[in-house]
Amino acid sequence: MGYIQDKDKKYLKGEFDKNLKEDVYILVFVGDNCQYCSVASAISQEVAELHPKIHFEEHTIGDELSKEYGLEHAPTVVITDKDKYGGRIRYVGLPSGYEFSSMIEDIIDVSRRMAEVSQEVLEKLMKIDKPILIQIFVTPTCPYCPRAVRTSHRFAILNKNITGEMVEALEFPEWADKWKVMSVPHIVINEDVQFIGAYPDEQYIEYVVEAYEKMR
Amino acid sequence: MDFGLVLPTGARESKDVDLAIIGGGPAGLSAGIYAKRAGLEAIIIDKGNAGGLAEEAPYVENYLGFIGIKGEDLVKEFKEHAMNYVEISERNEVEEIKREGELFVIKAEKGEYKTKAIIFATGTTHKVLGVPGEKELFGKGVSYCVTCDGYFYRGKKVAVIGGGNSGAIAAIYLKDIGVEPVVLEYMPRFMCEKAYENIIKERNIPYYTNVQVTSIEGKDKVEKVVYKDRNTGETKEVEVEGVFVYVGLIPISDLAKNLGVKTDEKGYIKVDLKMRTNVPKVYAAGDVTGYAGQIIIAAGQGAMAALSAYEDLMLH
Repeated sequence: MGYIQDKDKKYLKGEFDKNLKEDVYILVFVGDNCQYCSVASAISQEVAELHPKIHFEEHTIGDELSKEYGLEHAPTVVITDKDKYGGRIRYVGLPSGYEFSSMIEDIIDVSRRMAEVSQEVLEKLMKIDKPILIQIFVTPTCPYCPRAVRTSHRFAILNKNITGEMVEALEFPEWADKWKVMSVPHIVINEDVQFIGAYPDEQYIEYVVEAYEKMR
Repeated sequence: MDFGLVLPTGARESKDVDLAIIGGGPAGLSAGIYAKRAGLEAIIIDKGNAGGLAEEAPYVENYLGFIGIKGEDLVKEFKEHAMNYVEISERNEVEEIKREGELFVIKAEKGEYKTKAIIFATGTTHKVLGVPGEKELFGKGVSYCVTCDGYFYRGKKVAVIGGGNSGAIAAIYLKDIGVEPVVLEYMPRFMCEKAYENIIKERNIPYYTNVQVTSIEGKDKVEKVVYKDRNTGETKEVEVEGVFVYVGLIPISDLAKNLGVKTDEKGYIKVDLKMRTNVPKVYAAGDVTGYAGQIIIAAGQGAMAALSAYEDLMLH
């Protein structure tokens, strides 16, 4: 018995057949005393089995790759081409509930090696030439959260200085408390600029630019 | 164990259609099925996840054929049914609709769609209360979405402001996940369906009536709600760590209004019995028309709107 229902698998297979272009990797970083690590791996493996271009690998927090990507929490799920995207498109905690749809959309974008934003947003995005970490605190039952997660991941696909990190607030309550997360999506950029809500790209990029300006 | 894995749907490219349905709640999904089966090329565009506010209902007990089903499960059935017929583009907010000769051009986040006809199934959204502290403490205890934020308050006391159906549903949901809600209702009586009233009483959820909330207070986060007891005129307060605001709904009809569609004074789109608006080839269905806010009515209106679009596009 798998986690993904058969009829859902059928649908996903169709979407992958239609949209996948290049190879894409789902890397699951596991660790000790990790309640959802095995589930994260199992779900990712089930997804990978749906299409030959999707590859699943299990890694461990503390290994070479996790250090290279700067990962510290288990489980962390990374969607990548294992090249230019590195570990910049990631989920800390289980991408379940509504976030499962974010993960699927990431797989498609990463496989296509592209993401869509408007010209206006792209121009602002391309000016970012220093590392920016966008963390999005979510709950799996929040229908508005995937939008905020996906925006950061689309930005990460388009600009190599940007990392988009979903954090499942209920799995990491102390981390969420640190930023006083009480409504989601709650976005923290460079551990400095914060905002709450699922905003359109045009407003989202302004917060990213604000965090960037503060670094100068 | 069920992790409630939600699937994404949707187009990423622009396309031309006969009928664009804006909003993927029960009205939009039903319209999509009817449109495609009639032979219209159609697309459903939703700014968030298809399903609409129906997703927030913990339990639906008045949809024909289902004695009792969770709102999210019912919506999942709707969505999967509709996906067999019609493309649903989610997280794709419509920004602008323009006319181009006989056609409408819909500019949305993920692309541009040219269409001969439009159904507005845009639904409603939660209203803000408008008291001091509400804006200032948003994200610091004030919330408008129990499914999103309810879990942060497990073991804590919260206020649900507004005791209509959505407030009652919110309170029941909160109680179910281990939060201690108290409902504050402005009117002197229960304002929700009798069925919800019964659950609230069974589960011993306090439901205060005749309460006018005057402010939400707290230093860095919500500490209390201050209200006037409308019976006695006394000012009272209730200590809580969170506030969920459910004081009614407002229609989402700005896009329609910009096309010259007439609404009533509250902003609900005016339609005839066939769901036609005053603008030719523009229709509305579901909660945005101001009818009962019932899933079954929304689905019925969606079907009717699609059939009217078919009639206008294909038979005239």
